[in-house]
Amino acid sequence: MARPASKSTSPAAKSRAGTKKRAAPKTVARTAATSARGGKPAAKPPAKSAARKGPPKKAAQVPARRGAARKGARFDAVTMQILWTRLISIVNEASAALVRTSFSALVREAYDFSVIITDERGQGVVQPPASIPAFIGTLPSTVRHILAEFPAEVIRQGDIFITNDPWKGTGHLADVSVAKPIFVKGVLVGFAASVAHAPDMGGRTGSTESRDVFEEGFQIPVMRLASAGKPDATFIKILRANVRTPDEVVGDLYAQISALELMERRTIAMLREYGLDSLTDIALEIHERSEAAMRAAIREIPDGTYRYEIQTDGLDDPMSIKVAVKIKGDEIVVDYAGTSPQVDRALNSALCYTTAYTMYGLKCVLSPDIPNNEGSFRPIRIEAPLGSIINHKFPTSGCSRAMLGHYLPFAVLGALSSVIPDRVMAGPGSPIWSVLMRGTDRHGRAFSNKLFFNGGVGANQQSDGMSCVSWPSNISLTPAEVVEQLTPARVVYKRLRPGSGGPGKHRGGLGQDILIENGSSSPMVLAFLAERTKFAAPGIAGGGDGALGALRINGEAADPKRQHVLRPGGTILMSTPGGGGYGPADERSAEAIARDARLGFAAAD
Amino acid sequence: MGHFSVGIDIGGTFTDIVFYDHVSGRHLNRKVLTTHDDPSRAVLDGMAAVIQEDGVPVTSIKRVVHATTLFTNALIERKGAVTGLVTTRGFRDVLEIARERKYEIYDLRIEMPPPVVPRDLVAEVDERIGPDGTPIVPLDEAELLEAVDHLVARGIQSLGVVFLHAYVNPTHERAAVAAIARRHPGLAVSASCDIAPEIREYERASTTVINAFVKPLAGLYLDRLTSQVRALGIDAPLFMMLSNGGLTHLDEAKRVPVQLLESGPAAGALAAAFFGRNSSADRLLAFDMGGTTAKLSVVDDGKPLVAYKFEAAREKRFAEGSGLPVKISVIELIEIGAGGGSIARVDELGLLRVGPQSAGSQPGPASYGRGGTKPTVTDADFLLGYLNADYFAGGTMAIDLAAAKAAFDPICRAAGLSLAEAAWGVYDVVNENMASAARVHIAERGKDPRDYALLPTGGAGPVHAYYVARKLGLPRLICPPAAGVASAVGLLMAPARVDRAATFIASVDDLEWKRLEAIYRSLEDDAREVIAATGLSARSAVVRRYGDLRYIGQGFELVVPLPRGPWSARTRDAIVTAFEDEYRQLFGRIPPAGAVEFVNIRVSAEARATRDDVVLQGFGKGDGGLKGKRAVWFPELRNYRDTPVYDRYRLPARVERPGPAIIEERESTLVIGPGARFHVEPTGNLVVNLPTRS
Repeated sequence: MARPASKSTSPAAKSRAGTKKRAAPKTVARTAATSARGGKPAAKPPAKSAARKGPPKKAAQVPARRGAARKGARFDAVTMQILWTRLISIVNEASAALVRTSFSALVREAYDFSVIITDERGQGVVQPPASIPAFIGTLPSTVRHILAEFPAEVIRQGDIFITNDPWKGTGHLADVSVAKPIFVKGVLVGFAASVAHAPDMGGRTGSTESRDVFEEGFQIPVMRLASAGKPDATFIKILRANVRTPDEVVGDLYAQISALELMERRTIAMLREYGLDSLTDIALEIHERSEAAMRAAIREIPDGTYRYEIQTDGLDDPMSIKVAVKIKGDEIVVDYAGTSPQVDRALNSALCYTTAYTMYGLKCVLSPDIPNNEGSFRPIRIEAPLGSIINHKFPTSGCSRAMLGHYLPFAVLGALSSVIPDRVMAGPGSPIWSVLMRGTDRHGRAFSNKLFFNGGVGANQQSDGMSCVSWPSNISLTPAEVVEQLTPARVVYKRLRPGSGGPGKHRGGLGQDILIENGSSSPMVLAFLAERTKFAAPGIAGGGDGALGALRINGEAADPKRQHVLRPGGTILMSTPGGGGYGPADERSAEAIARDARLGFAAAD
Repeated sequence: MGHFSVGIDIGGTFTDIVFYDHVSGRHLNRKVLTTHDDPSRAVLDGMAAVIQEDGVPVTSIKRVVHATTLFTNALIERKGAVTGLVTTRGFRDVLEIARERKYEIYDLRIEMPPPVVPRDLVAEVDERIGPDGTPIVPLDEAELLEAVDHLVARGIQSLGVVFLHAYVNPTHERAAVAAIARRHPGLAVSASCDIAPEIREYERASTTVINAFVKPLAGLYLDRLTSQVRALGIDAPLFMMLSNGGLTHLDEAKRVPVQLLESGPAAGALAAAFFGRNSSADRLLAFDMGGTTAKLSVVDDGKPLVAYKFEAAREKRFAEGSGLPVKISVIELIEIGAGGGSIARVDELGLLRVGPQSAGSQPGPASYGRGGTKPTVTDADFLLGYLNADYFAGGTMAIDLAAAKAAFDPICRAAGLSLAEAAWGVYDVVNENMASAARVHIAERGKDPRDYALLPTGGAGPVHAYYVARKLGLPRLICPPAAGVASAVGLLMAPARVDRAATFIASVDDLEWKRLEAIYRSLEDDAREVIAATGLSARSAVVRRYGDLRYIGQGFELVVPLPRGPWSARTRDAIVTAFEDEYRQLFGRIPPAGAVEFVNIRVSAEARATRDDVVLQGFGKGDGGLKGKRAVWFPELRNYRDTPVYDRYRLPARVERPGPAIIEERESTLVIGPGARFHVEPTGNLVVNLPTRS
């Protein structure tokens, strides 16, 4: 049975000047790793830090303060750093191999994937530092879901597991997770795992119109993709029959498997070289160190409850994300109580995705240099009401979850902007925009291509926001020349939107205008993802809001949430939103004003 | 009278000059300070000094070969020409919008590198070519000239022309260049179809405007250098080292100076390949470690690996994605923030980190006694006994060991380590940083590090090489002679090389072979012409074909060496096999199904620039070389040990000795661990065979 995430009542806002306690860390409940879908709950992530479990198992202690010499540590500061450097180089190498062999534009141009090595209990050991934020923390929990269905006793060398279950993976069917056990001397020591956005997953992929996960596409429950080295031919056959581009989808699965095998080989070699029998000690060590560092960072922020609310465009009516960031001592509770109920379109964000983007926002502010792992997440609890748009229930769809999830990091930053404005940034012109174009080209061949466009980033205490940069995601553009090679679309222009950055002492980044024409002789079917067409990216610390985004089809304002058909010669104009400003506009320097005028970044004349 | 080649390498700090006599094998070196206001002055002074002091007749100088970091520095410091850009209507912001991607995901304050051409110096003109090369909108020449007039009035000294799809059909760009040349004959113009005719408008535009940015500077500098060399009485031809490790003549260098950006490091990699060949090692990991960075490059079959793009002027020096993309052929090189000046600290996780922050030369490592208080790699090297505090830089610099110890104190306390453990920790961590980078770099190419020998250069390279090699499982270390001026030596044996590329998108199962053959031919003819213009026989040139190939649907291509021409439909299978072999080598397996397509085609032409081999004389003639002993820390012993110290210049050839040992020379010190054996070869290379691992 699904176990609802706990929902606490929000305590009244406290005084900001609450006294900082240096007390020993207390037990904190973790984000529920259960799924909102039926089925077994994931194996619980084991062990809070030893210090909180009574007598430490291996004499491990959370360091009393930063940088303190750690008595009884499993590895000294040098050995641990060397193992760490090695592990990062392994996942970086696997990432590079995956990018280079993928058939998915989302993987290779947009880096929409991640890889990870976990220990034998599915606790994350290492992820690439440049991994896409959405996948922080989702992969290890996917591995634990696999372990819940396939306990260690039944896992054999050469097995590979697969799933795209939205509640056990990353929130939508398009992301396929695979994991391969790593054995040393016949003993299971960990997993190599990877998640990547598939080129296609059947159904109405890419559309916000899906009313449930069945419309969304082909579902892969947690299952074996290969048994003892032998791929499941029946499964591959069924998969091929259910996707539009079977060669590419299966090609990408192979690319993912190659990355898993690479991580497996390198991990085994590393363990052998250092005479280690398992990853357990490395995992414990890095988790404890990360947790201690995260707690130290949290302690630096004054205690209090900091609230923020974001309105999103929604469907017919706006949706609301309400957040209370409660800081007490060295712990944080992020409470989304009051957030809108789930909707019967594909705009919901599963808890795993909500968690990932909430953690991302906190990490940007608190601990950019601390590795992503369970340790650094332990002092943080996320409370998301079950049945809301940020923790929806089976079988509602989360296909276009980015349209909600991309708001969440700024919800956290916005809440903290009242207490540490100098460390956050103003509202970004995100979520990311995209258009999926389908149709027939001049030669009568079917094409399907998804293009991404970014708005401006929010300004910060130090500088203007960047123009047209992906945030919080990190998806790069597809070059116009590539678009025109792959599709009959013609990119007429792609320009900055002067004046779209929110005014301020530091101005928000600019959005862009993209005009695309249907250059074929047949109609194209269009599905958009576009937000901030009703509510602008807010400024902070006295800064102004960024410009709204807008979609026009054949010159007329159009609703991006609906599917459109573009006749030959028809045009779409996408205007992405600008970022918010920082600080009062009258404090902007004369040089900056003159530069904006000279370079044409100010409003059009 | 001899027959001299002269190599000149201008670096950030020093200008190295090597005269080499092909008749006697004699080599004469000079290291002079680089003169930043006019770099040719140091060159001239240095050359004049050798000519006069060593009595080299100017008529015996047969060729001069030059490498310089001048253009890279101009780009990093943004000290190039005021540059404008003319582009297709609708694409004014191609440089501003760039890739839309962050290079660092958690930092809320990152900044992107500002475009080389500011937005107010970019003009749009009406013209359009379709993806298949069909003109859609004709070029409006009147509008073009008006726009250029306006830019010239705004003070531009150089201009880039980048039109959409010019890689398929360059006619609009060529027409624009011709029209601009008629109106503004003095204006330097760079067209994307000449500089980087490859698909992806941002990368092509970036390469083109960087070329435009350095072009006036290159013209001025190279003309001045030529006239000054002539003024010395030398009328030998001058050649420039390109980023791909090949030479070219001055006109080509002035036309496409963006090719010179990495010419300094390319010379270093070539030198490594040369010294490796002297020890019959054709697979090398060249490892150059200096004060702030370490550079690694892979040499296969005696040649440094070549890549077809790189990133210049990174905003954050080592962060991938923070620089400007440049699509040229370039010796593949990774640079990491690990050098003698790299600073050690205990981070928020309580782990010992080293670099990329560097104490540089000011204030420098604590032990230099110039006010540095932070613990650095060099300080660790002194504390471990690897460097000799009494004979640093040939005894010219006083070393403050007490300051080094004091600098390490905070680390010792924070990490709970003894002084020796902390010093070893810093040394070991920086070695792991370099080894990890090398491991990934080699593995990404589907190769096994254990097949390679390590060839260290730079002041800190030999100090760290032995334990880097151990981490990588490399069996052998080759320490070349004259490592201090290695890059300049590398210039002497560089071949002439020309690379040409064109975009050609077609499936191997459905392409016009005649058209493909014709494009290859035209690239080959063009390349041969440039070789001929360097004064070499175009017929002696080895011309190779490459293709950027991928499975249809993939977004990244592999550059694959392909069979020689001429080709026909019958060549298809050989091409697919070559691609699949390369793919399997890199990624372990090939996908179950998939058709192969071309994206770009490439040609390289190479010709030996000199018939004579370079054999440096004067090494391995010594009679012993033991200078004394000192206490040196070895991790195998977990302790200091009294260790023999040798003078590199007095070691005899072919005498094998056991490690541990320290070998000192003027510019560096080689550390050799217990269990290893080493000897000097007649060519001057010092070869260390590492103990096999248990």
